[in-house]
Formats: sequence, C-alpha cells, structure tokens
Amino acid sequence: MKSENITMRMRPLLAGAAFSLLLVSGGMAPAFAETPADTLVEAWAIDDTITLDPAESFELSPAEFIGNAYDMLVRLDINDTTKVKGGIADSWTVSDDGLTYTFKLKPGIKFASGNPITAEDVAWSFERVVKLDKSPAFILTQFGLTGDNVAEKAKAVDDGTFVFTVDKAYAPSFVLNCLTATVGAVLDKKLVMEHAEATTPNDEYKYDTDFGYAWMKTHYAGSGPFSIRDWRANEIVVMERNENYYGDKPALARVIYRHVKESATQRLMLEAGDVDVARNLEPGDLEAVSKNPDLTTASAAKGTVYYISLNQKNEKLAKPEVREAFKYLVDYDAIGSTLLKGVGEVRQTYQAKGVLGALEENPYKFDVAKAKELLEKAGLKDGFSVTFDVRNTQPVTGIAESFQQTAAQAGVKIEIIPGDGKQTLTKYRARNHDLYIGQWGMDYWDPNSNAEAFTSNPDNGDDASLKTLAWRNAWDIPELTEQVKAALLERDSDKRAELYKKLQQEALETSPFVMLYQQIEVAGVRGNVKGYKLGPSFDSNPLAPISKD
Amino acid sequence: MSETAMTRREWLLTDRPQSRLQARLGRAYVAWRRFTANRLAVIGLAIILGLIVLAVFAPVLAPHSPYVGDLANARLMTPGPGHWLGTDDQGRDILSRLIYGSRLTLQVVVLVAVIAAPIGLLVGTVAGYAGGWVDAVLMRITDIFLAFPKLVLALAFVAALGPGIGNAIIAIAITSWPPYARIARAETLTVRNSDYILAVRLMGASPWRIVLRHIMPLCISSLIVRVTLDMAGIILTAAGLGFLGLGAQPPLPEWGAMIASGRRFILDQWWVAAMPGFAILIVSLGFNLLGDGLRDALDPRGSGQ
Repeated sequence: MKSENITMRMRPLLAGAAFSLLLVSGGMAPAFAETPADTLVEAWAIDDTITLDPAESFELSPAEFIGNAYDMLVRLDINDTTKVKGGIADSWTVSDDGLTYTFKLKPGIKFASGNPITAEDVAWSFERVVKLDKSPAFILTQFGLTGDNVAEKAKAVDDGTFVFTVDKAYAPSFVLNCLTATVGAVLDKKLVMEHAEATTPNDEYKYDTDFGYAWMKTHYAGSGPFSIRDWRANEIVVMERNENYYGDKPALARVIYRHVKESATQRLMLEAGDVDVARNLEPGDLEAVSKNPDLTTASAAKGTVYYISLNQKNEKLAKPEVREAFKYLVDYDAIGSTLLKGVGEVRQTYQAKGVLGALEENPYKFDVAKAKELLEKAGLKDGFSVTFDVRNTQPVTGIAESFQQTAAQAGVKIEIIPGDGKQTLTKYRARNHDLYIGQWGMDYWDPNSNAEAFTSNPDNGDDASLKTLAWRNAWDIPELTEQVKAALLERDSDKRAELYKKLQQEALETSPFVMLYQQIEVAGVRGNVKGYKLGPSFDSNPLAPISKD
Repeated sequence: MSETAMTRREWLLTDRPQSRLQARLGRAYVAWRRFTANRLAVIGLAIILGLIVLAVFAPVLAPHSPYVGDLANARLMTPGPGHWLGTDDQGRDILSRLIYGSRLTLQVVVLVAVIAAPIGLLVGTVAGYAGGWVDAVLMRITDIFLAFPKLVLALAFVAALGPGIGNAIIAIAITSWPPYARIARAETLTVRNSDYILAVRLMGASPWRIVLRHIMPLCISSLIVRVTLDMAGIILTAAGLGFLGLGAQPPLPEWGAMIASGRRFILDQWWVAAMPGFAILIVSLGFNLLGDGLRDALDPRGSGQ
C-alpha cells in the first residue's frame, strides 16, 4: 500500500525533472510560455476521474467537468448558496400535500448535439440513474424511487412539463437541493440510446439495455455551457464552448485541464505562464504565488469538515464534562494560523459555511484551566490515557500532534496510533477507537446530509443498519434524531434553517465531536484571467463567466 | 618471578604467555593495535561512542523539550541562536529532537543485533554441523526469507503487528537474521571436520556441547563484523519504516519520521528534513567505518602479517 504510494510519488517527480528540461529549452523560444487568448489551461490532479457518466461519477474533479458540461433541472445560486435557481426548468410548483413537484421546462432549448431538450429526456435521465443504481443514485432513490416505480414517479406529462412525485412531504428546499447534484444531470436520450448496448437480464440487473453505460464512461451527451470533447485518464480533459447553449455564451472557446500532481510543478508552470490556473497548491507554494505580482489567488470554503470524535463506548470519554473539556484543549488559533493556513479555516459547527441553516459560531478557545476544572468535575483530576487513531497524512497528523501536546497540559495522555486511511477507517467503522480524527464531505448540498451524519442515530445497537457518524461514536441521541427527521419535513425554508441551527447549537455544547475546521479550496490564477471564481462544491466551480485579457 | 620486570607491552606481546588470560589479552592487544592503525576505523568508533554519549546524556545535552513546541510563535524557524538547527512544523527544536532520537536509533540497533545475531548464529551452526535433512530444512527456510526484499518483508510484518517502535524492531530482526545464518553455516562447514572437533567428539562431548562451546566461538568474529556492517542498513530500514509512518509513533523523535514530516517543506525550509538526514548519514557512516576496521582487525587470515 505504502510502497505503491512511493512509486506514485516518484512519477510526478520524474515528470517534473523532464519538465524542467523543457523549461530550459523553452527559455530560448519565448512563445512557448503563453496560452492562447481564447483558451484557459488549468493544471490539476485529475486522477480521481474514473468516469464521466453523471449517473456514476461521485468524485471531486469530474464533478467540475459535469457541473460545467451538463445542466440540471435546478442549479445552486452561486451568489447565495442557500437557494436554488432554474437550470433547464423555467419554473416549478409544489402541490399542497408536498408530494408532487411540477417543473416547466425552458422552451426551445437544445442539447449540444442539436437535439431538443424535452421532459422525456429528464424523465429518462432519472430512470437511467435509478435503474443503473451506482453510488450516487441514493440521492434520488431516497425520495422513494425504485426501478419498478420510477416511470410513474418521474414522468413527462408533455414535452415541456416534468412531474416528480416523492414518497413523503419533504421540505421543498431539501428536494430541490438534491436535484442540483451532478446525478440529476439531464442527458440526451436520443444520442445516448444510439450507443446503448443490449444486455441479458439477470437477478442483479433486470433490464435488457445498459442505457449507454459503457459509452457514457468516456463520452458526452449534455447541454451545459461547455461540452466535453476529450478525456484521457491521468492526462488531459478538453472542454469546448457549446454553441447550442441557451444561456449567455462563454467568452472562452476552450478549457483544457492538464493532469499535474505535484504542487511545486504546478507552481513552476503557473509562474512560467504554461498554465493559467494551478489547482493543487500547497501552503508554501500558495504563499509564493500570492506574493507574485503577475498572479492572483482564488479560494472558497468547500463542503468538507474535519473533526476529532470521542467514542462514547469509552466510559471516561462518555462523561459530558470530558466531552466539553476536550473542546477547550484544541489550540484553534495556533492551528488556524499555521497548519491550516491556505487549506482550511477554523469551524466549530458541523454544517459547512454557505449551506442552508449553517450556524456561524466559534465559541471555544484554547483554555487549559477551564478544561482542568471540567475534568476535575468529572472526577478525573489526575488525567487519564486514551489512544488516538490518526491517518498518516497532513494536515491531520500535525493537528493530532498539536492536540497531543495541548491535551497533555491538562493531564490527558494521548497515544497516537498512526495508520493508513483504510486501517484507521476500518477501526473507526467498527467502533473500536477511543479518539479518531476524520474528515466528512457532504454527499449533497443540503443541511440534511451533515445533520443526519452528526446528529442522528436511529439505532445504537452494534448491528444497526444505518451507521451514521453518531453511531460510529456510540452517541445515543433519540431526541436529536427525531429533530433531524422533523427538519427534513419542515416545508418553510426559514423555519427549517432555524431547526438546523438549533441542532448545531445542541451539538456544539454536548456532542462528542470536537469540530476543527472546514476545508478551503485554493487556486493560483494568472493576472490576465478575469472572473475566475470557485464555488462551495466542485460542481459549482463555474467556467462560463471566465474571460482572458 | 625470577625474570626481571617486563614492561606491560612486552608482557602482552610475549610469545610465551604464562596463562590463558595473558594469551587472550595479548591477542586482543594485537587486534586493538591493528584497529587503531586504521584511522578511518577510529573515526567510526568515535562517532559511535559519540552517539552513545548523546543517548545517555540526552536530558542534560538537549537545550529544549523534544516533545513540546510553540506552534503559534516558533514554527519552522531558521537555524540560529536559540535553535541551532531550527524548528520543525510543530515549533519543536530540531537539535533536541535529534539528540533524543539517538536513543531510539541506538535502541533499534542494539535490540536488532541482540535478537537477530543469536538466531542466525544458532540456525547456521546447527545446520552446518548437523547436515542432512536438518541442514536442508533450515537452509530452505533461510532461502525463503532471503528471497523477499528486506524492506517489503519488514513492511508486511509491521502492517500485521501494528505500527510502533517495538514492532518495527521485531520486524527488522525477523528479516535480518538469514544472512547471519548463512555466514555461520559456511564457517561451521570449514571447521566441522577439523581434528580438534573430532578429538572433542572422541572424548564423548554431545553435539550441542560441540556446537555451543567449540564451533560458535569460531564463528563469532566474522559475525560481529557482519553485524556491524549491517547496522547502517538496520538504521536505514528503521528510518524507512519511520518515513512511511509505520515505525515510531508521533511524537517520538525518530529520525526517519522526522524526515517524512519535513519533506513537505523541502523547497523553502530545507533544514527540517536535512538535519535528521545528516544525522542518519553520519551514524550510518560511523557504523560502516567501524565495521571495516573490525573486519581488518579480527580477520584471522590477516593476523600473521
């Protein structure tokens, strides 16, 4: 496992060496270091892209490609991410019983292929996701869709009207937020079915067509502002302006993503002008970029939060005073200004910034005296020892070591057990840890995603079917679980936001989660690039507004 | 008593020793003289002695705590007064960490030598003396261990046992005994049919007594040389495991783990990774020089010259 990582790391080094040779020879030909005026070139580690099919893709980099190349019924409003705006849908209504959503499509719009976009395409795209049933399909199937009923529940009434029926009266904001996910992308039925392959139905897969699954892995059938022309794994993604796009035409004719893994290489390329945007800059390189007058930086908080959790199966950690004391033992300020600089910002509530109902409060400060007082109240005046499972990557190792030092000041002896991601995660999922430091990325852009993970635990038994983060730490919370369910069904958006704020406040005070920070995505951008903006999720990093001088 | 007083040197070098002790001391003195004639070997010895002194007096010598740093104010400071080798990404003094790290390095080296060398010696001498199917079985097991790359095998053991310095030592020991077994077997084969062994056997000594008392002592000198030369490799393996996060647990100042955590700053704060790198280099070099010197000094074939 680890040795594999070494070879993986060596490759970019070699590439970097080869590249610096290129730089030397390029110095003699100045035209080398200049990208065309109508083309944006980005350097980004895109090795997590394994498919371009919206029904299957659930990784970070393809979310950006799909987000720009496909259109959904509704999209996140990038200026206020607690709201949605129309994508393919012009308008929508929700029935009084909260079960039926009727979408009116924008008239006269076309796919990149020239085929018209109809409600039939939307219904078929939903059907395809549900029947293929790949990892992101749960975002749609949680509304009660199955292979048998999807034709009824997601239905085209006429060419311009799509009706979506859900199984409970969910909050409309929840349903609409889920539809902004890449899995809700609308596909060109005619084009895809031309490439569909016949399959033999069996017990696991009951349908006689693959819905173009094999073809869609590497091809494109969408209607976004850009079309995907080419993808070569671990090498390049080429996107071109979609001339049939119904909205404002992008200023750029072409966007090219080059796979560059090492931060230092990206920095060199950006400084030389070989790329316009560098996406994986580490703190040191980012600092150098921000000091360069030819370059600017862009950043946005993403929907991934990091936390230390206390297993409630451990009697000492289960005491409420201990849970609170631990929240006073993290040196938030020092970590924020050093280890997290450029990669994250301190955040003590579990909802990501920018999502509906996110609570903006960071009440805890590093305070040994206060923590000691709480530990004394818990009857642990002389401190105690616990183990701490830590994945051996940065910045979590650094944070864990810092926490080890600060906790020692209150007499809490922490033994760090390093391991690779799989080892620590397996132990965590089996509830065999004491302390664990982990990250949690939102599954879809709605507060329910994190509320369910952190403050819902329907069954605390060892063989529970739903294993949320609260379950993993054996935090038994029947009341909060009910509140999460209630929030999901609250149809008034403002009231719903209040419910989530209440949940976060409660978690802030009593939960076994010491929330640490929210991840920030940063990019180094050349000065002549205008309108470059990063959104809160990877499918909301828009390319359309970008232009170059 | 009848003779006039000899100088101590003459007493040691006499070709007619009066007692066993005198003969042994004389041999040791000759070996020591040969060893000190090799200047590089003396440098190696000095480095190792220096390492031992550092390890023993670490609490006195280290200017700061190796475990507690000032994250907010003293992170990644350049080498200079106050922190002679700079500070790392947790604001800890690198010099202090290196000094305390010498304890871990020494611990690894000594324990691996103590565990691996006797195993190898026993397996090799038994295989060589017994011959037949015992030899075949023991040597095929040795072959199997030799067929694995050492670091990969150590990685597998650590992954199975769990990370930690104790498990790393066990893993390295398990992977480093086969070469000793081979050497011991080769030495045994050259002496097993000698007249003195036959004489001991005629006197009724058991095979175990012969192996333990009459064969092993002859293998030891070449084994010591080999172990000393291997110590550099052991240090590197331990550092490699530490680098991969499978050796010492944080915050232990293991040198390999220190390089791993400093690697991220190699462009802008080179000293974080370079200082432990130098430490490993110097100590490995010390063991290699010492091993070379010992080989020249202890090699019985070179003794007549």
